[in-house]
Amino acid sequence: MELFSTESKKIINDPINVNNPISLQVLGICSALAVTIRLDQAIIMTLAVLFVLTSSNVILSLIRNYIPARVRIVIMLSVIASLVSVVDELLKAYLYDMSKQLSVFVGLIITNCIIMGRAEAFALKNEPSKAFLDGVGNSMGYGLIIIIVSFFRELFGAGTITLPDGGAGYVLWSIPDSWYAAGYENIGLLVLSPGAFIILGLVIWFQREVAGVEEDA
Amino acid sequence: MYSNNYTLGFVFIVTIILGTMLSFTKENVKDLQDKNLKADVQKTILRSLNFDENLLLTNESIEQTFKNYIDAKCVDVQGQIVECNIEEVDIEKNKDVLPVYMRVSNEKIEGIALPIAGKGLWSTIFGYIALNPDTESVLGIQFYKHGETPGLGGEVEKKWFTDNFVNHPQKQSNGELKYIPKKIRDKNGKIVSITVIKGGVDYSDSNNASIHQVDGISGATVTADGVTDFLLEDLLRYEKTLNKIRDYGTI
Repeated sequence: MELFSTESKKIINDPINVNNPISLQVLGICSALAVTIRLDQAIIMTLAVLFVLTSSNVILSLIRNYIPARVRIVIMLSVIASLVSVVDELLKAYLYDMSKQLSVFVGLIITNCIIMGRAEAFALKNEPSKAFLDGVGNSMGYGLIIIIVSFFRELFGAGTITLPDGGAGYVLWSIPDSWYAAGYENIGLLVLSPGAFIILGLVIWFQREVAGVEEDA
Repeated sequence: MYSNNYTLGFVFIVTIILGTMLSFTKENVKDLQDKNLKADVQKTILRSLNFDENLLLTNESIEQTFKNYIDAKCVDVQGQIVECNIEEVDIEKNKDVLPVYMRVSNEKIEGIALPIAGKGLWSTIFGYIALNPDTESVLGIQFYKHGETPGLGGEVEKKWFTDNFVNHPQKQSNGELKYIPKKIRDKNGKIVSITVIKGGVDYSDSNNASIHQVDGISGATVTADGVTDFLLEDLLRYEKTLNKIRDYGTI
């Protein structure tokens, strides 16, 4: 299969755009709400999901012809859980502050429906190269949404834009004090989970409008 | 359809491979993780003692600051200094050897940090409370390890909660804010600790106890009650030591 053929482009683009795992299939919502308080958390979470999803897709696709159908769910879970544990350990060693902030949500990647869903629906039926592209596409689709949501939540909720660095995050921009003096106020609601629901709802609306999705009545 | 033996064999092999991969990773990063953990504990102690955040940016600067400013000793319940390996004292279980971390400058104690630990709702919460040399007003409190629900009990580690233990801004009649410090001793010098109140603290004049009270966390009453309980229990254990520091300025 050509890497840049129409088919492989479709495998990558589909989940980012028309068939987005969050905004279309509404999977992986738990973590999408939890880790979107700050932009840097969302970016690290995206990278973690990118690693887990592409590796699990490729590994499962490689052994897809040898997995007995009866135990396939168990095998999928063990592969995914091991990969997630590796990511968790690496974060604790190299990005300690970030791993503290993401706390249980790194471990909860195991239960992120996107990953099991892609393994069952795609990786077990397709060759490794396609499974790889599917993993990249879906994690990007996931990442795109949580990065957009976290950008708005952090900007309007906390008044900052934080990028990941080795430690507690690098503040790229924050709302100047003069704005606050002039009466500007942060929207406290956005920092809480209901704020995430509202932003996510707006993003889903916008994304479906652009992609031209019609829900079956 | 695969045979049972094939299925068993397959699962076995997959388990071995994944297990090896995991232990290999853990083995390789364990030292780094331990270093991070140690630095995190030191950072918590330094934060509770109100050190400048700029000194706490990297593991190296944390270690350096800790070495330069902190005098760490162990005492017993009677306030006598005892020998110990302070890093290995189990602050949850060992109730006889009590670590004390003093912020010292020019041989004068500027703050005393004491480990606190106890049960919340799901887990044991670990932290440090730092007192001013008067051993009465709070310099800071920090929690660094817990397994409470993020957003509910997990809020104990947040600044808005820990700041409550230091003081409370009260509007004066002339419109200025006055910061009323929280105290762990009552008028007679008895240790009464600080109680986390369900809901908000009543700051009207009729409530004399408001300097011993802080606001609770909505949806985390059990965690807050846990904090109240172990804070009192741990402070009482240090009573003789704290009296000594108050009266003589040293232990």
